Amino acid sequence: MSDTPPPPGQMYLYDNITPPLLDGSYRFNVSTDTTIDGTDQNLPGATNYFNVEGPRFTLTPSLVAGVFPPRNGHGSFQENVPHIALSRRTLPWERALDPSGLIGTPTVKQGDPPRPVGPAPWLALLLFEEGEYTILQNQKLEDVVPSAVYKRLGSPPNINCDAVKTTHSVLSGIMPSLDELTVLSHVRQVNKDDRELSAGSSDGWFSVVMSNRVAAPNSKCCACLVSLEERSDLVPKDPPADFIPILVEPGPIVLHPLAATNFSAQSRTPIVFPKEPFPFQITVSLVLLYSWKFECIGPGSFRDLMQGLDVAMFGTVADPGHPPVADTGHIKIALGDRAGVDETVLYRSPLAPFQLTRDPLGPYHSADQCRRVAPETGAEDITYACAFEVGRLLAAADARLAQELMRWRREGYRQSARADTFSAVSETLPLVQAIDVHTPAIPVVAAGATTSMLTGRGPAADRFGVDYLNQVIGLQPAALQDAWQLSSAAEAAAILGADAGTLGATVTAPAATPRAATTIDAVAANSSALTNLNAARDRIIANTAQKVGTP
Amino acid sequence: MRQAWIQSKEALRLRMTQPQQVAPGEPEAEMPPYMESFLAHLRVLVGVPFEYLVPDARLLPDESIRFFYLDRSFADRVVDGAIAVGKIGTREQAHHQAHEPAVRQQLDITERIVRSIQMRLGSFADLKSANDANRLTNGAADVITGFLLRSAAVSGWPQMDVRAHSTDLPEHLDPSSAAAQNAQLRTLRLERLSPSVMIALFQGIPALVTIEEPHHGVQFGVRPVFAGFQIDERKADGEQILVGSDSKPLFAPVRAANQRVLSIASLRRALFKAQNADSTMPQQTGGASLAVEVLNPPWRQRFEGTVDHAGDGGGRQSSGFLSSLSVAVRVSQPETRVALEAAIQNGAKP
Repeated sequence: MSDTPPPPGQMYLYDNITPPLLDGSYRFNVSTDTTIDGTDQNLPGATNYFNVEGPRFTLTPSLVAGVFPPRNGHGSFQENVPHIALSRRTLPWERALDPSGLIGTPTVKQGDPPRPVGPAPWLALLLFEEGEYTILQNQKLEDVVPSAVYKRLGSPPNINCDAVKTTHSVLSGIMPSLDELTVLSHVRQVNKDDRELSAGSSDGWFSVVMSNRVAAPNSKCCACLVSLEERSDLVPKDPPADFIPILVEPGPIVLHPLAATNFSAQSRTPIVFPKEPFPFQITVSLVLLYSWKFECIGPGSFRDLMQGLDVAMFGTVADPGHPPVADTGHIKIALGDRAGVDETVLYRSPLAPFQLTRDPLGPYHSADQCRRVAPETGAEDITYACAFEVGRLLAAADARLAQELMRWRREGYRQSARADTFSAVSETLPLVQAIDVHTPAIPVVAAGATTSMLTGRGPAADRFGVDYLNQVIGLQPAALQDAWQLSSAAEAAAILGADAGTLGATVTAPAATPRAATTIDAVAANSSALTNLNAARDRIIANTAQKVGTP
Repeated sequence: MRQAWIQSKEALRLRMTQPQQVAPGEPEAEMPPYMESFLAHLRVLVGVPFEYLVPDARLLPDESIRFFYLDRSFADRVVDGAIAVGKIGTREQAHHQAHEPAVRQQLDITERIVRSIQMRLGSFADLKSANDANRLTNGAADVITGFLLRSAAVSGWPQMDVRAHSTDLPEHLDPSSAAAQNAQLRTLRLERLSPSVMIALFQGIPALVTIEEPHHGVQFGVRPVFAGFQIDERKADGEQILVGSDSKPLFAPVRAANQRVLSIASLRRALFKAQNADSTMPQQTGGASLAVEVLNPPWRQRFEGTVDHAGDGGGRQSSGFLSSLSVAVRVSQPETRVALEAAIQNGAKP
């Protein structure tokens, strides 16, 4: 035995690990033999007592590291051997099963393997089916075990324990013999990094007790970890007989044609003996340390199911032609169209037996847009129309999605409106730099506007079409003068009732005061202006402070 | 009067001649997260009723597995339909028309995190940003394949391990090895549609699909045969002893009094005899050597492409099969040679 843990993903198995001392009460004597100058001068001895204690009639559930099949599990466990893992490696061997040897030595016949090494464990995992057992809680120990066993256990007073009660015939059928018990327990060392079974602060060591019974299909089972300490009345020396079916060679006379099909050259018909028809109603109870139930339901093993699968590409039917599947994967379905006419149309599942190219003509805006007619047959293909409607219905069922769609569109429109605004601005303002949605619009426009102010702008365009009015013939003073034979244009203008300026007279801009070009230094040197500015700033700060109420 | 920037007649003409009114390259209005997640789920057909997937129950008989390619156009149409909600006029249509390429590209990327979302591995925003950052290494929008499995195994063995690989890796397959990891295809969806039906979607075309029995830990098991049970002979390290490619079974008798009770003593006697003949088996000293022999590692079912199995008699191909995913020949050997080592390694997986 080594203390080095196995590499990750592996485990070591040990037949058993026995403690140096079994549980029980011990006395030790100390005596010292001393010889001085040839004469014995022994020191006075001393006697002391100590107990080695461990689980005996109850088991703390924390000692159970794991069970299989899982507690209350439902599944196909009819090919699994139940087992329980205990987080103390020496636990099954901490007590002697039969210290006084009442069971006897198992017979070893010629050709038998040597008896297993090591002591037999005092624990056994028994599997009962529904109806075979009763679990009793908080029983007095003397009520659970027979009086002889109670006496051999040391007649411990005031012990309450759980018990499982069953009939003698059931128990004798499943109780392992002495040597079978020995091989049904082993010790396992796993790597601590291995997550399996390493619950909590485990040291990587587990003792495992297996059952010898396999759950029957469709049964409810209870696995019971029982104590067999001193139960020499129940544990047999030798295992009971094996089941040997009596085989009858098929004779030359075949009685039934159906039976004939089942016979091959080596086939033999079993005659199965019925189980004991009259079970003895002698009840036995055992000290129950731990139990869990599981249900064995299900259809055989995973392996059988997987091996039995019908494997094919989608579109393969067990009975060809039912339903008829086209080479393209389409099947026919009935459709009542919107005119109320029953039609047969084609539909193909999205799960296709071959690779399809993706339709590049997207997006579609309505289901009708996705309807297709197969040119060869004239039949309508509604696959994608169905897909469209499914998507629409799924989305419509989701209120939040509808809101999000709205948000998404609104965002899209906002982007679009922004782009439109930019193009309009670009048209109107002769900007130096073109703007689009990528450029920061405000600085660009501001820079453009500043440039225009500094460099001057050409004459304002007639944005509102006023110039066209001037061309109306009745509004032109010259034309009026001409038509009415007036003496002067001014007279005509007066008749039109307008002052100069509205009617096309060019207004000259007032002359701008010419200013000498200045520099920053010159401005900074003007201290009186700076003082004014400072005062104005202080005034504004004071006003603001007063408004917002800050002292 | 200010002229409208665009008039209805002109707008219609523009929509017909130039669907992208928003010029390409301009930033798209990003999809709201919930909408993106919803549409990505639709891409892998989450929520699409089962009748649409299997329009006739006979297409998926009991105890069958059907491999398929996903029709991407179908998924695109489902998304179109979803976006059509609230589409009242030409403005919404134009908007959808303009944004569709961007939406499709984004969903091609985002559909890969649907499974992570379903498994609640993180918030959508985190998963999406990580996924978007990896979009180049994760490759372009790929072919999506998958299978539908209708079997009692689906309900009986929840949490099966389903993996797809792009190459046909030989057995002694360790899923955590680098070779297996590199060849593994991304699982886009793995879900039970009903108690007995499971759907799986993979990104890419697999050459090998494995389904493994869930790992409840190291188990002990026996197989029922006539008048008893059967185990496989194993070496001292737990590996199966093979005769050719078949395991070597050993009969385990039962008791006369109760035929579900193994006759451990007789089994030990049989193992002792077998060990005398084959010294690679462990000596029957006690519990440990017996435990090694009744080990029952999780079963791994392999579905492989026909490429490597042309000599096996062709396996069972479907008649409608047209391209390279095929399927699906069962492994010819009745036993997968999963050693104890692999069993425990696998057992360590959550």
